[in-house]
Amino acid sequence: MLMNAEVSLSCEGIERFLGEDDSRVHALRGVSLQLERGTVHAVVGPSGCGKSTLLYILGLLDHADSGWVTIENEAVSHLVDDALARKRNELLGFIFQFHFLLEDFTAQENVMIPMRRLAVLSEEQMLERSAHLLDAVGLGSKLKRPSRHLSGGEQQRVAVARALANNPSVILADEPTGNLDSANSRRAFELLQRIVQEERKALLLVTHNPEIAEACDWIHEMQDGRIVESHSRGHRISVRAGA
Amino acid sequence: MTPPLYIALRFLRHRRRSFILSLSGVVFGVAIFICTQAQTQGFAQNFIDSTLGSNGALLLRSRFQSATTGLLVPPKNVRNPNQPRRHSIDGITNASEIMRISRQFADVAACSAVLRGTVSARAGFDNATVDLFGIDAVSHLQTTNLAQQITSGDLDDFRNNPNAVIIGSRLAEAMQVVPGDAVQLLSPGGEYRRFTIAATARSGVGVVDSVRVYCHVRVAQTLLRKPFPASMIVYKLRDPERAPAVARAFEDLFQHDAQSWQDREEANLQLFVTVRVSAAITVSLIILLAGFGIFNVLTMSVLSKIKEIAILRSMGYRARDISAIFLWQGAMIAAAGSVIGCLAGAAFTWGVSKIPIQVRGLLYANHFLVTWDWHHYLWATVLAIVAVFIASYVPARRAAQLAPVATLRGSSA
Repeated sequence: MLMNAEVSLSCEGIERFLGEDDSRVHALRGVSLQLERGTVHAVVGPSGCGKSTLLYILGLLDHADSGWVTIENEAVSHLVDDALARKRNELLGFIFQFHFLLEDFTAQENVMIPMRRLAVLSEEQMLERSAHLLDAVGLGSKLKRPSRHLSGGEQQRVAVARALANNPSVILADEPTGNLDSANSRRAFELLQRIVQEERKALLLVTHNPEIAEACDWIHEMQDGRIVESHSRGHRISVRAGA
Repeated sequence: MTPPLYIALRFLRHRRRSFILSLSGVVFGVAIFICTQAQTQGFAQNFIDSTLGSNGALLLRSRFQSATTGLLVPPKNVRNPNQPRRHSIDGITNASEIMRISRQFADVAACSAVLRGTVSARAGFDNATVDLFGIDAVSHLQTTNLAQQITSGDLDDFRNNPNAVIIGSRLAEAMQVVPGDAVQLLSPGGEYRRFTIAATARSGVGVVDSVRVYCHVRVAQTLLRKPFPASMIVYKLRDPERAPAVARAFEDLFQHDAQSWQDREEANLQLFVTVRVSAAITVSLIILLAGFGIFNVLTMSVLSKIKEIAILRSMGYRARDISAIFLWQGAMIAAAGSVIGCLAGAAFTWGVSKIPIQVRGLLYANHFLVTWDWHHYLWATVLAIVAVFIASYVPARRAAQLAPVATLRGSSA
């Protein structure tokens, strides 16, 4: 696999077993991956092939049974829970299929939640940054609107703004357009793509949408817990499992 | 404001009904605790004040005499031969000297010698057995609250007239006499002496008001035909709680039987303590029930916020931040509940103190007696905080242990 030197996130030989005893499943079988700054990677594959499991391990929400994860050239697999939480807060941004906003909070308050945990900005600075981020995703006029009163597309854009709140190096998205119509899907993806390119971030998204996958810089096809093929836009390079 | 506190406040604001439900449980428990403690201690305190005001904090009575003095061999039934068996001889030996020495003790605020005896009283066709207290007016008024207890008549009429008496209010009612009337007291020798009632006194203690008659000590000595001028010394102490210690010291020093008010009123005090503890247990159960309510509300809150917990975890909130969110919710319920409960408790207590009630037994009262003691508010608050913390801890811990992946995975494709 051809990668440039500016690696934001990488993993090597990730193995993960889910369930116990008879129901034990070998969900990931030696997955390796590298995400460089300014690139968009899509993970595709049938349901149950291990896409989301890989995403949660890379997002430090789940642990690998073997293998290691590096973020910004620092190995993080061995870190304790509090340290992992800090890494998630500082370096990672998550976008989920069902956007997962706090319904009782306004759009602006949702965006400010990661900033509050980081505790670097003052209240005024947080208000200013969250307003700027929401403005960037086209929601500058709906800052104070409770998130439950926003449309699906708007909620997903709030989720994008929230993922960018702490200026993370890596954005991980689990079917970010899965709950949107095609027009909104395209708009949301283009927004993410623009942010990644402009701000030199790395984006890994899990998707079932072939149009979106084809628009990514890299596509990784997964099957039975392995990346069976990775190719850049316009090129096809087969990769053996565990390679 | 810490992020968990901010989120806890927002969660509470959007679950107002649950919050109010939890809050009312704590408010009710705290308020009832304060109110019941104020009542039960109110009656007890009134009794203590009344008994201290009438009989002093300490009584020095009969003189000790060793029962084995003069025996060469101690009797066989003596448990400890080194500690002499003691008999008591009625009366105080050299009362004025004992009082002179006693006054040098820092604990002693005042003391008064009393010659006490039982005589029959007659007024018109009514007869009664009375407890005669022969007193020196000046020292007795310094030692007791007799001056404040006068309900009718004039204390000066007693001071200026050697044949005047002060009579207990309930005794006066029973014998149908008022100040200015005459009463006859029958001496042990069988002769009646006529006295003028100068005043009636109400101590608030039933057994005092229904039998006691005060007269001058020299008159009492003549009437009772006692060879000594004092059968006991009544002490007023600066700190009544020190009465047992002072009693022990006086027994050793003066070789007279000394009895503290705590020993003297042990049975009644025990009764008040029992009622108070019983009320405290009942009200603690109410607070415990409120705690169960809060436990249920917070557990439901955790279950309904599983998605939010997973989101917060994915954004870098630590397990202890999640735990803190629910502990803060409990803390806010406890804080608000305690403050409102204390205010409501004070209001209830004030309201109860206005309820008319006719108590004419052990105590005299025309309305509920209450005390205003900050300790009640402190204990109610501590109890509420402990109950709410225990009720919040389990749901908070459970919230912290929730694995975010399970929720996120379950909600995604």
